[in-house]
Amino acid sequence: MSLNIAQILFNSLLTGSLYVLAAIGLTLTYGILKFPNVAHAEFITFGAYFAYTVADIWKLGFPSGAAAAFVVTGILGVATHLFLFGPLIKKGASILHLTVASIGYGIVLRYAMQEVWGRKDLYFSAYYPGFDVGPLRVTLLWLSFIFLAVAVVAIFHLLLTETKIGRAMRATSNNPSLAQASGIDTKMIIMLVWFLGSALAGLGGVMKASDTRITPVLGWNVLIMSFASVIFGGVGSIYGTILAGYILGFVENLGVIVLVALGLSTEYRFLLGFFVLVCALIFAPQGIAGITFRSIRKRWRAVG
Amino acid sequence: MVNIENFILDMFIYVGIFGVLSISLNLEYGFTGLWNFGKVAFYMIGAYTSAIITTLGQPFYIGFAAGVVVSSLAGLLISLPALRLREDYLGILTLVFGEIIRIILKNEYWLGGPLGIRGIPSITPAGLDYTTTLLVQLASITVIAAVCYLVAYRLIHSPFGRVIRGIREDELATASLGKNTFRYKASIFAISSAMAGIAGAFMGQYVTSITPDQFMPFVSFTVWMMVMLGGFANIEGAFLGAFLYIGFERAARIAKDYLLLPIDPNNLMFILTGLLILIFVFLRPQGLLKENKVRDYKGV
Repeated sequence: MSLNIAQILFNSLLTGSLYVLAAIGLTLTYGILKFPNVAHAEFITFGAYFAYTVADIWKLGFPSGAAAAFVVTGILGVATHLFLFGPLIKKGASILHLTVASIGYGIVLRYAMQEVWGRKDLYFSAYYPGFDVGPLRVTLLWLSFIFLAVAVVAIFHLLLTETKIGRAMRATSNNPSLAQASGIDTKMIIMLVWFLGSALAGLGGVMKASDTRITPVLGWNVLIMSFASVIFGGVGSIYGTILAGYILGFVENLGVIVLVALGLSTEYRFLLGFFVLVCALIFAPQGIAGITFRSIRKRWRAVG
Repeated sequence: MVNIENFILDMFIYVGIFGVLSISLNLEYGFTGLWNFGKVAFYMIGAYTSAIITTLGQPFYIGFAAGVVVSSLAGLLISLPALRLREDYLGILTLVFGEIIRIILKNEYWLGGPLGIRGIPSITPAGLDYTTTLLVQLASITVIAAVCYLVAYRLIHSPFGRVIRGIREDELATASLGKNTFRYKASIFAISSAMAGIAGAFMGQYVTSITPDQFMPFVSFTVWMMVMLGGFANIEGAFLGAFLYIGFERAARIAKDYLLLPIDPNNLMFILTGLLILIFVFLRPQGLLKENKVRDYKGV
């Protein structure tokens, strides 16, 4: 078997883009509100199902489906905060209770979705033929998703560095009470974080589903790797999570080839995520976010 | 027509199994403050170990013992790296650990693969009628549950119990009193994983066939639900919670035969469980019963 290095890198970029989209929201809410939101998995699934409804049941086409999924999943995230986690935090619930609540909420969401869309696998009707670019086999869909994820990363970077809202987001994520004391409307920022984080998760769900199929466990299967990205990247750190997402994408694609070569089931790629998670937790519990925002900028300036 | 006596006996057998699991989670979270969202992993390891050994022809007590030992070792093994972590990281790690074990069991055909293990020898002698079989099973799980209860009771009313509560309240302060908190946490993990292991081993021989899909993360969440219902850090509450939750589940199962619902009853069951979790988190986050008091030694 000859290895097509370019294809592996391309696929890694694709898988990594999925993890980045899925994990950004997770790392932001985890960083600010201090609890792992297990229901994040269901936002991913919800995005896929909603896009399917718009694209294939209402027949409005795949791009509008993806756009609608982005917006509606974002709204779902905001509603989740307004009606569930916000009131709980106000009541002074402990981190454990917030986590348990997110588990309960995730169960409600998953089975409500199963009730609405059924248990059978669904497929997007949009089909994208593959074509070759040099040694690469690509489709327009993959290219657009990679483009989208890179655009999201770039936009996030600009947002965080160049705008007032972005600075307020970073401040809130870093130290919520201090941010509030210095006049930042942290409530509004947290709302924004829920919207963006959930919307990106929904988009990630669309991405995963368009390439495979939509099932009720779609989000759950992405969640393990998302948690791995979040912890490997450093909870609350957007840059760390992005880097970790792409590293995990690479590890997974390389791992699948190794697994096939060893004659093992490719389902074992989850083990790789677990392995990275364990290693990250033991050797670098702060994640690669030692690389903070400021140090990147400093290094960048030193180079330039 | 289902025989109502058998239905109730079966229900109490499950109350016993899940009561043991709830005690084990209560020791970890309720008393020591360790998050374990992967209780199902140790339940699964106990069930599979015992099932494999007994289907190879060994008697059940060897299977049970092996289930307990392997489960306990797995708990100790995962605790070594995990216990140095922050509590929420420990939760995520154990959750993922459960999924990993399930995926391995599903993909390794020599361990049964997706179809699992069938024909696990039961502890009850063949030839008994169904109700007597259930009675024997109920008696056995009662003994197991009583032993686990006594172990937990002795633990929490001992100096050991005071140390683990100390770890829960303030680990640094406990460590500053010269207690090796890591060793205490690892022991609790090993002991409670052993309990989960025997619950799994018992369950395996009771239902006589196990598949990886019986051990979804949802099982861990139901145990959390039970502990939360009964009350954190209350070992009697563990059984109360198991009884209430399983009673609720069974009642829903009966009700769905008599009700014409516009919604799939299976989905409804899960949705109601999720809502129940949310209601408890909102209205009574500490559970129904209060924490077991530390015994007063004045009279001694």
